[in-house]
Amino acid sequence: MIDLNKRTLEKKNFFNRLVLIYVCFGFLFFLFFYRTFSLQVSSYTDYELASIENKTREMLIQPRRGIIYDRNGEIIVNNVPSYNLITKPSEIKNIEFHIQEIKSFLDISDDDVLHAKENYEKAAKLNRELTLKNDLSLEEIAKFEARRHMFPNTFIDERYSRFTNYPELFAHSAGYVGNLDEDNLEEILFEQNLKPKETIFAYSNGYIRGMTGLENIYDRTLRGTYGKKLYQVDASGKLLNEIEITPSINGKDLHTSLDIESQKVAFDQLNNRRGAVVAVEIETGAIVTYISSPSFPLNRIANGMSSRDFNKLLNDKNKPFFDRAGQGRYSPASTIKPAIGLFGIENEIIDWNFTINDPGFFVSPEDDRVYRGWKKGGHGEINLKEAIIESSNTFFFSLAYQSDIDQLIEHLSHFGFGKNVCLDCFLPDKGLLPNPEWKMNTLNFGWFKGDTVNLGVGQGYLSATPLQLAYYSAFLAKKGELNKFSFVQNNTEASSNVFVSKNISNDDWKKIHDSMIGVIENPKGTAGRLRELKDFTVAAKSGTVELVSTETKEDYKIIRETEGKRDHAIIIAFAPMPNPKYAISVVIENGESGGSVAGPVAIEILNSLLRND
Amino acid sequence: MIKLLKILRRKIYIDHYLFFSITILSIMGLLFLYSASQENTETIIKQSFFVFFGLLLMFLLSQLDPDFYKNNAVIFLLISIFLIIITIFFGKEVNGAKRWLDLGFFTLQSSEIVKIALPVFLAAYLYNKPLPISFFHTILTLITILIIVNLVRVQPDLGTSLVIFLAGLYILFLAGLSWKFIGASFIVFILSLPFIWNNFLQPFQRQRVLTLLDPNADPYGSGWNITQSKIAIGSGGIQGKGYGEGTQAHLDFLPETETDFIFSVVAEEFGFIGVCILLFTFFFIMLRCLYLAINARDRFCRLTIGGLSLLFTSTVFVNLAMVVGIIPVVGMPLPFISKGGSSLLSFYIAFGIIISMATHKKLMQK
Repeated sequence: MIDLNKRTLEKKNFFNRLVLIYVCFGFLFFLFFYRTFSLQVSSYTDYELASIENKTREMLIQPRRGIIYDRNGEIIVNNVPSYNLITKPSEIKNIEFHIQEIKSFLDISDDDVLHAKENYEKAAKLNRELTLKNDLSLEEIAKFEARRHMFPNTFIDERYSRFTNYPELFAHSAGYVGNLDEDNLEEILFEQNLKPKETIFAYSNGYIRGMTGLENIYDRTLRGTYGKKLYQVDASGKLLNEIEITPSINGKDLHTSLDIESQKVAFDQLNNRRGAVVAVEIETGAIVTYISSPSFPLNRIANGMSSRDFNKLLNDKNKPFFDRAGQGRYSPASTIKPAIGLFGIENEIIDWNFTINDPGFFVSPEDDRVYRGWKKGGHGEINLKEAIIESSNTFFFSLAYQSDIDQLIEHLSHFGFGKNVCLDCFLPDKGLLPNPEWKMNTLNFGWFKGDTVNLGVGQGYLSATPLQLAYYSAFLAKKGELNKFSFVQNNTEASSNVFVSKNISNDDWKKIHDSMIGVIENPKGTAGRLRELKDFTVAAKSGTVELVSTETKEDYKIIRETEGKRDHAIIIAFAPMPNPKYAISVVIENGESGGSVAGPVAIEILNSLLRND
Repeated sequence: MIKLLKILRRKIYIDHYLFFSITILSIMGLLFLYSASQENTETIIKQSFFVFFGLLLMFLLSQLDPDFYKNNAVIFLLISIFLIIITIFFGKEVNGAKRWLDLGFFTLQSSEIVKIALPVFLAAYLYNKPLPISFFHTILTLITILIIVNLVRVQPDLGTSLVIFLAGLYILFLAGLSWKFIGASFIVFILSLPFIWNNFLQPFQRQRVLTLLDPNADPYGSGWNITQSKIAIGSGGIQGKGYGEGTQAHLDFLPETETDFIFSVVAEEFGFIGVCILLFTFFFIMLRCLYLAINARDRFCRLTIGGLSLLFTSTVFVNLAMVVGIIPVVGMPLPFISKGGSSLLSFYIAFGIIISMATHKKLMQK
């Protein structure tokens, strides 16, 4: 028998210890209770969100790009559907058997079969679609549709391709689309508060964006807004059912100022020779013709071509991808002469009655260097108008010699030289308007008087793109006031460039126009050959770009054996006179004669534009 | 008639509070399990059978006199050790663990039996030892505990072995272990922690501890379970998503919804209100046990009630703390709620013994 004292002590001891443990547990349970409270009440919203994010899967719906139209409302670039055979793997038990069944009446390539087999299991598990064959022909569609009832889980679905009916006419102006890389996709989706995720594609080549030309410049407008499809998913990511759809919004159509008809004429006229044409509507500055030749097949670039064909194009010595119209640099040559003549008038170095005697060359009083004209024996006693018509070098050498170089450069910059003259051109080149500072910095030479003399006939360092030459042409036509160029009619952002000089009157502009009309109409004009071709009165100035400097015609004959050393042919023109509507520039590389080679191209395009108005 | 009832009442040993609350808990458990098992009727029918049989067993065991348990404690322990040893050799292997004995009609998880047998044995062994417990008896008891804990650990069943170890320690502590010994062994334990970490824990167990410290380090790998569990609990909010509406549970985001993570399902579908009701029921049972332990007729009964009720409390806490990410993930069912016959039956047995200890008074006391 244990004594009572000991028993009470033992009981008290037990009580204390048990309560101690219970207190410890009480504390632990309080900790748990607090944790649950903070999860369910304090942080409820976070976990609610996490739970929703868990059970739903958002898919993006790719919008269709806008259509690109020409100025008459004709489609240039469109979305053309292709038809793909698609199946639901989750509903199909034996994919091999299924393919065999379809193969009995429809040809499915081994590559496609392999692709289907490899992706079958994953697609089935996640309840995704699987493409069996791309781009079905009408006959194949008919074959499948006739047996549709046999394949309840297989169907034909539309996917689009970017497509133009004029693959070569708009290669450089409309440009092409290409695959969007991860970074760009993220950026685009970020603008819409979206993140990259699984996407239901509208295009058979996946995410696309404009790579060049208008497709690139107006990408934001054309691309549209991605839609969303919300699915319920389980933990493995399997799609269970559709909860909500926010449809995609297709991109806005782009109505351009380009004219399909004149593009055709220009392309045919250039006939794959290396060169470029830019024609604009003078009133608005809207570009109607924009061709760089040779061209490349736009559709195949946008929708995939073999790397062999691609490399062939890339390595072609004529560089079809190069946009000569916006990026090719050419000396303006004699086409610069009207602008130089205006400089003489503006600075009162000469007037319209001023004459000089042209012996066929100009001797620099400074160092007795001889600068030759193109005509042996010279043009005799001539004034400015005759100097433009006959393209006297001596007259302009002499005029340039007397000019201040800084003033001359400032003057030329008004005509678009050395500037970006376009609002929405793809990577336009600014050409080169040289000045003494530029020469010192790049060539490490001071500016010689001879450089100014050469500038007087558009030779030397001065260079411009066909786009700039078209601007120059339109600027002359509109008498010193012109909008920046644009591919869109009535571009509201277009700012006007106005050239005001109190010394140049409307009469002076008219006389410049008359001189340029004389280039064609006057018997002594350098482009007299065009008289027969034109339907309207045209003002023009031709030019011939010397690539290799030669003293005599005999020397040039040796040089022209090599095609790449032959002179470039250039012409600027505007018509119809006296109220010109269109201005144009044409460059044909190694075309030799501005008047007789580039000229007919310009005339045919102007004829087409004016005839169709 | 009234007289007959009175006699019957005197002859029947039952604690109405415990019996009622455990029955309520069991019914709640069936309700929760139905949703957690994705409305699987077969699971519910099986579980209902165990609940019914378990309640019956609890009632029957509470009729036996405490002396019966005291006198047979050694035999019970030996039988359960025997069962564990056969399990190690002949057990059914599931996921690399041999924890189950296939008895044909029922697969028995033998560690669940020793979980009850050990505390009863220790109480029976220590109840008449002079206070404070001598060093010799302490060491002898510890060795017994460690042998059994290790037998369970090698199956491997870390969760259960941990709870068994704790149950053994509770009895020792309640029986009057000297504070000096407690202090000394606590220091030794702290010092040997790195050793335990490196030698006794499997790599996956270490990973679980690390995951607890930073569950976001690998949310789709080792942190997946606990991350999803927290989302389930948190998204339940105050009112819950509604019965059978838990998306985390029903779209397979939550793992082990029927066993370890059933609380997350409850919290998701019934919210904070449901959690409070469930917790209140558990608390009620624990506090009733505390009352019964203090008022038990002798030292053996006190130790047994104290040990078994703390075993129950620890199991509940380990499960709940694991599910909300307070402690690392160990396989531990929620008593009376989780699926699993052995675990369910073991707790009915435990409470049968507790009620027996609490209701049989010695004539002298009356």
